[in-house]
Amino acid sequence: MSEPTIVFGSRSREKTPQPIVFLKCLSCNTENSRPFIEGDYVMKVVNSEKCPKCGGTQSKIVNIYVPEKKESK
Amino acid sequence: MPVQFLALLNPATGTGENILSFILSLIWIAFLMVFFLYPSFGQRMQLGYMLRDLEKKLQKLKSIKDEIQNITVDAVKREGSPEKDPSKDIERLSEFFLIHPESMDPYGLVYKLEHILETGESVYEAEVARLVPNATEARVKTLTNLFEILRGINTLYRVVRHYYLLGKKTSNIYLVLQIQMVLPQLIEIAESYRHAAVAFSKGQPIGDGVGVLVVAKLADGLEKNRYEIVKDTVIQELEFENRKVFVVRAAGPAGTVGRPGEAVKRLVESLAQQPKLIVTIDAALKLEGEETGKIAEGVGVAIGGPGVDKYKIEELAKSRSIPLHAFVIFQSITEAITPMKESIAKAADVVLEKVKKVILEKAEAGDVVVVAGVGNTVGVGF
Repeated sequence: MSEPTIVFGSRSREKTPQPIVFLKCLSCNTENSRPFIEGDYVMKVVNSEKCPKCGGTQSKIVNIYVPEKKESK
Repeated sequence: MPVQFLALLNPATGTGENILSFILSLIWIAFLMVFFLYPSFGQRMQLGYMLRDLEKKLQKLKSIKDEIQNITVDAVKREGSPEKDPSKDIERLSEFFLIHPESMDPYGLVYKLEHILETGESVYEAEVARLVPNATEARVKTLTNLFEILRGINTLYRVVRHYYLLGKKTSNIYLVLQIQMVLPQLIEIAESYRHAAVAFSKGQPIGDGVGVLVVAKLADGLEKNRYEIVKDTVIQELEFENRKVFVVRAAGPAGTVGRPGEAVKRLVESLAQQPKLIVTIDAALKLEGEETGKIAEGVGVAIGGPGVDKYKIEELAKSRSIPLHAFVIFQSITEAITPMKESIAKAADVVLEKVKKVILEKAEAGDVVVVAGVGNTVGVGF
């Protein structure tokens, strides 16, 4: 079986969307966000990150999603 | 006589002395003769153009397949630190197949299909686990999903290549035309596979997991008890406004869909009190032009896939006269297997409120309700 022979150049590909992680501080209920790190999952309790508002060290991941661009009116 | 003939061939001068015009006319006549004597010449030319276009797209499919294969190889090397190159084993697993049961005699077909699917799943998972002996069980399940994506793109590439080569060999324009017409959609699916491979290799939640996300949010802070009822599927017992709610979902955050049908069946059969309602929540395919994250509510069992789980819940509900309520969250096939979009995640919060409302409206204090969150639970924990 012959394989197709045309070889492509480095054509720009659609980038894989990067999700954002939303953490809720278990002390003050403030929601903070940061880019996704391998090992993150929804409902995971994170003990290693400080809340920028109250300094609390325990937070829970409440959402992980890819933000959508808002349409300008 | 020749002068007169030349003059006839030269409408511009009418003198018959323009040799260039004569040559052009001869070429034109020869061209017309080719079309008259060889009627399929135009079709041949068209076939040539189509085959070239197909070849370019096939090459694109191949590059996507190779990229997914590289992602898989990297993930296996990262997780399993194998001594030898795993590429050969990965290639072998990408050709893995399941033979569906014979349907000439439909008696017991659902259970035969269930047996084949479960056996296939176990065998495939064991093969992946062998490649990554140091990985946790959760990572093995997520990697198994990655291998399934590789299997999917491999099949897609092989089928397109088959039609391309067959069309080329037989010069059959109709064969080439058919595959050329569907190829844009196939390329779109292949691109989704590429994004899905990245999501699964990193353990990110995907659009299909929205049903599981809803029940994870429902159980958050209310869970009284949790246990595995069937492979990869757990029950979470909750107390919600004096109603006893049993949440059925795949065990996360590993990438698995569990066995919701068998889980609901075993749960209901084990309960002393008959459930007042069975609610299922799942992602559904939207039609072109529809908004992503749109929610619809209805009656029935919202479970996609081969139909085994849906059949089991329907049969159980019918035999015990349990009402079935369903919620679906619309999304495209691409959105279902790629990292979860904001509109889908936001829809989960809306569905959560709707589920709570249904429980309060359709069940009274002391009643039992079963809520099943259906979908791939990658990136969604308890």
